[in-house]
Amino acid sequence: MAAPMIMRLFFAGSFLSLISGVHVADVFNEELLIKPLDSGHVYAHFQFTTKWDIDIQTQQNFTHYGLFPKSLGEVLAKYSVHELHLSLTQGLWRHRIWGYPVVSAPPGAELWAWFKRDTTNIDKKWSDLVNALSGLFCASLNFMDKTATVSPKLSFRPLGAADQWIATNSTYLRYAAMPGEMVCTENLTPWKKLLPCDTKAGLSTFFKSGKLYDTSYHSLGVYYKSVCTDAECDTTGVELVQSLAVVYEPPVRQGGKQDWSFKSLFGRFLTNSCPVAEASHILVDITGNKTLAYHFHLSPPPDRVETATRGGDKRKFAIYDAKKRPPSGLNLAAKYNRNVIYKQPQPPQLHAHRFITGFGQENGGIVTMLFNTDPKENLTVIYMEMVPWFIKMYFHTLKVEIDGMQENPLHIHYVQAKDRQQPCLMEVILKLPANTTTKVSIDFDRTFLKWTEYPPDANHGFYVTSAVVSTVLSHAGQYTALPQHSDKLISLLSLNDDISSEFLLRIHTETLLVSLPTPDFSMPYNVICLACTVVAIGFGSVHNLTTRQFIEVDPTKNKGFLSNIKDKLKRKKKETDAKVHKEEKSDSIEEKKS
Amino acid sequence: IAYFSQIILMIADDMACNPRNPRPAMVFNNANEQINVYGHDVEVDYRGYEVTVENFIRVMTGRLPPSTPRSKRLLSDDRSNILVYMTGHGGDGFLKFQDAEEISSIELADAFEQMWQKQRYHEVLFIIDTCQAESMYQKLYSPNILGVASSRVGEDSLSHHVDSAIGVYVIDRYTYYALEFLEKVTPESKKTLSQFLKVCPKSACVSTVGVRTDLFQRDPKKVLVTDFFGSVRNVELSPYTVTLNDTGDTGDSTASDRETCSADSCAPKKKIQRKKMSYVDQFPVEQFLKRR
Repeated sequence: MAAPMIMRLFFAGSFLSLISGVHVADVFNEELLIKPLDSGHVYAHFQFTTKWDIDIQTQQNFTHYGLFPKSLGEVLAKYSVHELHLSLTQGLWRHRIWGYPVVSAPPGAELWAWFKRDTTNIDKKWSDLVNALSGLFCASLNFMDKTATVSPKLSFRPLGAADQWIATNSTYLRYAAMPGEMVCTENLTPWKKLLPCDTKAGLSTFFKSGKLYDTSYHSLGVYYKSVCTDAECDTTGVELVQSLAVVYEPPVRQGGKQDWSFKSLFGRFLTNSCPVAEASHILVDITGNKTLAYHFHLSPPPDRVETATRGGDKRKFAIYDAKKRPPSGLNLAAKYNRNVIYKQPQPPQLHAHRFITGFGQENGGIVTMLFNTDPKENLTVIYMEMVPWFIKMYFHTLKVEIDGMQENPLHIHYVQAKDRQQPCLMEVILKLPANTTTKVSIDFDRTFLKWTEYPPDANHGFYVTSAVVSTVLSHAGQYTALPQHSDKLISLLSLNDDISSEFLLRIHTETLLVSLPTPDFSMPYNVICLACTVVAIGFGSVHNLTTRQFIEVDPTKNKGFLSNIKDKLKRKKKETDAKVHKEEKSDSIEEKKS
Repeated sequence: IAYFSQIILMIADDMACNPRNPRPAMVFNNANEQINVYGHDVEVDYRGYEVTVENFIRVMTGRLPPSTPRSKRLLSDDRSNILVYMTGHGGDGFLKFQDAEEISSIELADAFEQMWQKQRYHEVLFIIDTCQAESMYQKLYSPNILGVASSRVGEDSLSHHVDSAIGVYVIDRYTYYALEFLEKVTPESKKTLSQFLKVCPKSACVSTVGVRTDLFQRDPKKVLVTDFFGSVRNVELSPYTVTLNDTGDTGDSTASDRETCSADSCAPKKKIQRKKMSYVDQFPVEQFLKRR
């Protein structure tokens, strides 16, 4: 029922574009990569790529839209954005157990953007951009103001094509992250609406929030950049990649078996494909399906199986063409021969672990452990850290230790924090020798904020965003990211000819939760009560004592009415007392007599 | 003129995707998981720390910073019917926001008056479900407001039932019965507001539902529920033509953009020098390695 509607819309759309004479040269591809992991998890990565052959430097191009979403395009054009990378993630990607994802994202929200060359007043444009994006993606990105934004100098160079001069001028770059941002259905809804087929056809029909959020890791990504459309890069286009990465844990629900299928992961079969998509592929990474002891069987059988060699690493993929699915729908399923065999994870070449040290509410330390597990190869990494201003870092305490021995880093770029104005940025270039553990540590003091600056749940603590570790690997073990010039996952297969022997890797560490000394917010009420009581009692008594005049009272003088009554009562009491006393006396005399 | 609907949702806590929720991304109206009120197309405009009294009053009165996106604005005019539904903990004359601040009934009354003076609403249906909810509409003094409260001053509003799987009470009594009534209302429904006002008798709600109709000019018996709850589009036909000005607003609008010009005459003014682009070195460490 939905398919004919989409077909009608598609024809109407193409008809209209023919009439208007404007040829909107954009191409849309949708892909799904499923990779079963050794730990029993299943990693599914959706990638929706829209490539639009327009020149980013011509402003008028952003007026006629085809498959490229208009709501996002207008925001990007209005704020002179050259490149944009936004990710909204729930959960932590465990590099040590799961290897590397296609795109790494920290928990919470992360946004970095490069602005165009002749942009004036970049700070204002950034502030307007985050507000517009917060409305577009229903996330509170508007908190990414100047106090939470930095311009990293070494990390986060433009991933796409850019003017060489701009690329080395980090004043055009803005980076901000909100680790405490949670991701829920309201972020998925507008993200889905940016896709050409929405959720009516194709792989995007799998997006059921009830299934997607019941996972160990969930990440939404919107990545926009310029790409070269020819070898010499004389013409360029723009590319928008929308990605959704989820990590499921089937053994939890299936009594220890890693069996998965479209029905169990996404809740439905694949019954149609997006008509405006040029190609729709499903790739299953079957490299790990080697041992007889523990293997799985895919059904239906794949359309083709191909091996991709990349930097000495061989990966085998089973490929399905979603456009040629059977009429009853495609339910790709993998059945394992036995329960998951849990074993020591084989960590990838580089992984990191970050944590807080110290105790008390005065000071503490941040320690990051960087592990280079390769037995032979040294690695050079750029370690970037952004810390909010209320965690006062002490630069002189920065220490780098390699297997316990102190070393000097190759280069440090440090921008000190300014109270209530900017966070602290630290970028360190380190050399990690083969098979070693490097420890980067720095001490900090905790600030006592002004009482209005605490959030409503002040005792929860304050988040510090992930550190970003960037490096270049020389071999692609467990590496699934795409090289700079390609945009589709299917191009992973044609990388046999990829002469590049370098693979840019970016990983994010854990976020930190720091508790600052928090005042007792009920104190203003307590203080007012106490102060008022003290004033009332103390002031009243002192005033009375100091201003009272003591005068002699003449007993014979005429007193007031009340005092007359009081005197009468006193006299009566005296008389009755005297009578009783007399009677007692007479009683006692009589007793004595008798 | 066609009416359009705009829903602004302010949720302070993340309940649906909270790690404690055994059914992620789903919030049900009862323990039997009958209706998933969180839905597949929910859009929360203000969430987390953005839900403050200041932001709420700014949304109502329209005094938002210029960079606020459209989805976070009320965008109402003098023909708009507005439904305001507030729930949470409250007391005599206040409603709590985020356990840290309160909005008082006087502030709310003043906000509505500002809206009236700036002609930002035609009619308002104000529903409030808190303890002593009646106190929140007692101070209102602007016309065309119909107030419904789940309890009188001095009474507490009660929750309906607990879901043992989650461990908290999942819905309040008034909201439960109001939802039950509204689930049966379709866009073509002829149900009136007076039927909606009778929705939770004391036997069901335990607290007494309060209604304030003195500021409302129409008779609730003649007002359709869909006037407030559905986005029923009314189209007004006009015999006059309206000329639209071409603002040409696609980017940095400078003074020169305002004049209309043809493609040929405009182009020379906007000629930016094109720069050669290429893929950039992602890992700029060579210069620092050489120094060593």
